[in-house]
Amino acid sequence: MTGLSEHQRSADINESHDGADSLRQELMREINRLNRFSVRGILALSLFLVVCILAWWEFSFLPAPEKVTALLGKPPSAGIISIALLLYTFSAIILSLSRMTAGVEHRSSFSHVAYLTLFFLFYYFGKSLEENYWAVFGSGVTILGVESYRIWTFCAEGITKNREDIEYVNRTGRPPPEE
Amino acid sequence: MFATLAGKALIPVGLAVTGFMVVCCLILYSFIRDDLHRGEIVHASNLADTVLKSTRYAMLKSDRETLATIIRNVGGQKGVDHVRIFNKKGIVTFSANSVEINRQVDKNAEGCIVCHKGTAPVTNLGTMQQSRTFRNPGGMSVMAITAPIYNEPDCSSAACHPPGQKVLGTLDIGLSRAELERSLKLLRIQMIIFTFMTLILTIGGVTALLRRNVFLPVQRLRNYVESSALKDDLPEPPPHLPHDLDIIATGYYNVKTNFADKKPDTEISVNDFNKKN
Repeated sequence: MTGLSEHQRSADINESHDGADSLRQELMREINRLNRFSVRGILALSLFLVVCILAWWEFSFLPAPEKVTALLGKPPSAGIISIALLLYTFSAIILSLSRMTAGVEHRSSFSHVAYLTLFFLFYYFGKSLEENYWAVFGSGVTILGVESYRIWTFCAEGITKNREDIEYVNRTGRPPPEE
Repeated sequence: MFATLAGKALIPVGLAVTGFMVVCCLILYSFIRDDLHRGEIVHASNLADTVLKSTRYAMLKSDRETLATIIRNVGGQKGVDHVRIFNKKGIVTFSANSVEINRQVDKNAEGCIVCHKGTAPVTNLGTMQQSRTFRNPGGMSVMAITAPIYNEPDCSSAACHPPGQKVLGTLDIGLSRAELERSLKLLRIQMIIFTFMTLILTIGGVTALLRRNVFLPVQRLRNYVESSALKDDLPEPPPHLPHDLDIIATGYYNVKTNFADKKPDTEISVNDFNKKN
């Protein structure tokens, strides 16, 4: 009887060790994922800067605006594009600040690069890129700057919490209490 | 800096407000510049119409001297870079600058190519399309407009021009953009100052409010907790804390007081337990 209970206890201890190990590995995997995710904002900002350099050279690899407008029709006026840019910038900043407040993990950075590239292209085809270049640049740096900061702080907090959880698991061998 | 409460509160607000202000100012500047440019074109177009109407009688009478005087006088006005009339062949017949007279105009030059790019020249253009902007040899920015002089019944009936000829010549008038550029430069400076002032006010306002309502009360709470940990007799929580922090301070005070009340009993029971064993 005693032998059986000792056997059961050692099995429980082994099981608990295995559980702690797997939990530790899971937390380490989560830390690595957050580490990779934390540079997403900076990568998106770098990609946007590459697009800005191409726009500065007036998209020399693209066909002339006249050819494209002959095919697709007249583009919207620069004023309409600027109003759309202003509304987009406002919405994107509000959305990013809301996500920051709610602590939501959202992978939106690269979609912003796509939207901003579209603004550059619209201005290019409307032949008003030179006059409005700095507006799109400023909008992109602001939106992607706020997004990078949001992602970076989200990941930094997540990594700190996971490290604390690993310490808890190391100390107690039990999963950390749910918040 | 990034780990502090102040940093966490101010960085996103500062970045978002500054960035949005800059974008707004750039777009607003672009709108104002386009409006001013459009106004300048309308002004030049009206001036061209005035010149054409004032020279019309002299043209009908073939009074070349009066015509040349009008062109010279208009060209001598402040802010007018050039005034010239050239015939259908592109030869300058009247100009405020006498050196240009009888010179051939290059049809491929900017401002001419818009109408002359096809085999047959375009005879009707909108006001915006008639305008061009360039720098003159003196380096001054100029906005020029070309207004065609159309053949009308009283022109063709005077036996000077055949009725089939649609355009008799072109008036080219150029206005200096120096004043407009000066206004735009002033506007740029004003917008930069305005953006900086808004930024300083926003950051300053948020900092002041945070300091007054959050950082100082948190600092008082922290001092209270740190000082009470070192003292045996627990002081009362600091007065006039914001409601949320007051709940924390009172809660801490109650827990600490209860703990202090129960501590001797616990020690006795531990002693009893030790004696028993």
